[in-house]
Amino acid sequence: MNRPWWVRPVAVTVALTALVVVFVTTSVVRDRTYAASAAETELLYVPSGEIVERMALSFDSLVADIYWIRVIQYYGGTKRSESVEKNYDLLGPLLDITTTLDPGFKAAYRFGAIFLTESYPNGPGRPDLAVALLEKGIDAMPDRWEYYMDIGFIYYWWLQDYETAGSWFERAAEVPGASWWLRSLAANTLAAGGSLESSRMLWQQVYDSADNNWIRTEAARRLTQLRALDDINQLIALAVRFNRQAGRPPRGWDELIQAGLLARLPLDPTGLPYVLDVENGAMNVSPESELYPLPGESLPPLSQ
Amino acid sequence: MAVITRIAVHVFKESIRDKVLYNLVLFAVLLMGALYLIGQLTAGQDVKVIKDLGLAATQIFGLFIAVFVGIGLVSKEVERRSIYSLLSKPIRRHELILGKYAGLVLALAVNVAVMAVALYLVLGYMSLIESEEFKATWVRPAADPAMLFALFLVFVQLALVTAIALFFSTFSSPSLSAVLTFSLYVVGHFNADLRNFESVVDSSVAVYLARALYYVLPNLAPFDVKAAVVHGEPVSLGYVAMTTWYGAAYVAALLLAAVFIFARRDFK
Amino acid sequence: MSTPAIKLDGLTKDYAVGFWRPRPYRALDQVSLEVASGEVLGYLGPNGAGKTTTLKLLMQLIYPTAGTAEILGRPAGDVGARRRLGYLPELPYFYDNLSAEELLVYFGGLFSLSAADARRRAATLLDRVGLGAARHQRLRRYSKGMLQRVGIAQALINDPEVVFFDEPMSGLDPVGRRDTRELIRQLGAEGRTVFFSSHILSDAEALCSRVAIMAQGKLIATGRIADLAFEVLGWELVVSGGSLDGMRALGLDEATREVDGRLVIELTIDQPPERVLPELARQGAQVVALTPRHESLEDYFMRVVSQPGDAD
Repeated sequence: MNRPWWVRPVAVTVALTALVVVFVTTSVVRDRTYAASAAETELLYVPSGEIVERMALSFDSLVADIYWIRVIQYYGGTKRSESVEKNYDLLGPLLDITTTLDPGFKAAYRFGAIFLTESYPNGPGRPDLAVALLEKGIDAMPDRWEYYMDIGFIYYWWLQDYETAGSWFERAAEVPGASWWLRSLAANTLAAGGSLESSRMLWQQVYDSADNNWIRTEAARRLTQLRALDDINQLIALAVRFNRQAGRPPRGWDELIQAGLLARLPLDPTGLPYVLDVENGAMNVSPESELYPLPGESLPPLSQ
Repeated sequence: MAVITRIAVHVFKESIRDKVLYNLVLFAVLLMGALYLIGQLTAGQDVKVIKDLGLAATQIFGLFIAVFVGIGLVSKEVERRSIYSLLSKPIRRHELILGKYAGLVLALAVNVAVMAVALYLVLGYMSLIESEEFKATWVRPAADPAMLFALFLVFVQLALVTAIALFFSTFSSPSLSAVLTFSLYVVGHFNADLRNFESVVDSSVAVYLARALYYVLPNLAPFDVKAAVVHGEPVSLGYVAMTTWYGAAYVAALLLAAVFIFARRDFK
Repeated sequence: MSTPAIKLDGLTKDYAVGFWRPRPYRALDQVSLEVASGEVLGYLGPNGAGKTTTLKLLMQLIYPTAGTAEILGRPAGDVGARRRLGYLPELPYFYDNLSAEELLVYFGGLFSLSAADARRRAATLLDRVGLGAARHQRLRRYSKGMLQRVGIAQALINDPEVVFFDEPMSGLDPVGRRDTRELIRQLGAEGRTVFFSSHILSDAEALCSRVAIMAQGKLIATGRIADLAFEVLGWELVVSGGSLDGMRALGLDEATREVDGRLVIELTIDQPPERVLPELARQGAQVVALTPRHESLEDYFMRVVSQPGDAD
């Protein structure tokens, strides 16, 4: 061979790079064009945790992790997507697979329940699925009092079933090692469930006992929402007084200010003004507020 | 070219007679027959189960053939030194690699075809004997031509795995090559999850690394359209074409690397 | 002067030994040698001398660190040259699932022989090496000796001008060795150049016009066997028709053993055959074979390397 020694390796490197570019580009274009990714198709294929468990051989825990990453990606991706119709249908099956593969996967139960209960469009709004998931967690780990409490919480907050909520809090209190305040929470719920006070107490407990930022931030948000509800109650009282004085409901905040009932434009805890609906006198936070929608407002739509 | 063809034919003959391969295919065909019995046990779901298991069996048996015969192509030959006499013949080293690859892909195609025929026969039989009302519940016909898409992509995927096995065996021992090929196969299936790394990891360095790995490592999951086909979801021709093109380019890269390594190697 | 059939010029091969800090191991050191067309050269040396390394470099199974190797005027590895040569590797192994005939037809095809031609040649060659009966059996069933013969056959499928044999006698029983020697002699008589390696001197004895002696990677000596000072340690005499009693009379009974109805007598250097033979003839014994027993190649090297010996 009369060529200098470096010609061949260079030629091979160039050709290899070209081929890599080709297949990478093909991959990118294909992924973009055909959005139905393999993960979703695969999900249709294995709707049950048992089957995946058998297929995962001895790598259950690792595969559970992979599915957990998919849960987060699926939930986050759907939540953040721009489309009008958000479809969370696969969230339940994904969580089922994850927890079947690794029944000890604590985060999957608790966060999974939270994702499932979030009302549409921030989530599928399926408290029933969340309860089922947590019950599965209790089956696997009966000494986790947090799961009992989480179920009680769902009945309280999302399903407004205070009796059932109270009984779950009681059961949670029975578990050895449970927090001391669960018993009083149970009593409070049974007595005055639905009241702002018991709700506030509940969320305050969640905030204090939260072991990570996500839950704590969420609890803080809820507490702020409750403060907004408090504010609105007071504003309603002012409106009633205006009605008695003026013989009709107020048509705007300025009327209340002029009537001397209100010092200035009422702002919600995030600094945005409250909204007064002139037609039916309803008061609410502004739709642009972070606190929107306030609890007890919209019923979560059930998926078809 | 003539040399490559002759080597390919020889490899094909050797492979077809290989006892391991022979037994695997036989077992797969028997399994197809047994599937019918299995299908009887799962009331109502039998067609789907047979299709699922049949396609999966084709893929798994094909995988074993691709890896073990693929490694034998070079690694075992070097270990046993039968390659010495072959290399002293008037052939160029790249002709050897390409010929061996072509021969094995041919053998693979025949094996996949045999298993596909067995599967279709079983499903066709089901079509004949089941009642019309029951058949009305099937989303897709039993002997569904759409399954050919799935089988074709399985074949392309196996051709890619064979190229991986061949590549490793140009420079490592048979056992190491087998381990590396299987590992890459597993990694290739979970490749898609590398892309989702950014949802769970904060470090942008890790995300870029994961992205790069996702694109460079073989992405095998898209070759798997079994579920779609069984559920009657449409598989677009464009998708099949692009995925096949991806496979072809990846195979070309692997063969180029294999030829380069093989050409400069000392055979001690 | 015509081009030599084989030419080695300063051929050197280093291997890196060791994983962490590789040290170079010189397997072949500046070997230069020419083999003329039609010569039968014995490439001799103890195990590890570099004989196989040389052959692999000639076949371009490995690449040289320095120096060149040429076959028929072309560099080693040249495809055109490979059309005209045959190669038998050491301890050959082929493909389990083919038969001997199929193997030869396959290899013949690589030389662009038609299937019919290849089959014809295969049949002839397999008969020549004594495998005619077994030629349809799968190679997996072949013994070591049979594989060796197949190896020889496949080396000749293309009617080569130059033939390279690496330890052609290994794995063969004495009859096989004799047959192979005969084959090599025939190849030489047919005008082919034969280059074969061995670690046994007597293999080369009758066949080679020239030998080249290797040790520790270096070419120590080349020349005719008669010219190289190999020490003769004695003779091996094989007679038929003799008797042990007769041997006792000569004082040779201790040195005699009976093999297959013949007597094999080990004569020492002080018992030259010409003194013994007339006596044996009188006893009615007939000489079957008389072979000098040389010092082993190992002993030769010990002797020559420690003092400057004949070099070519």
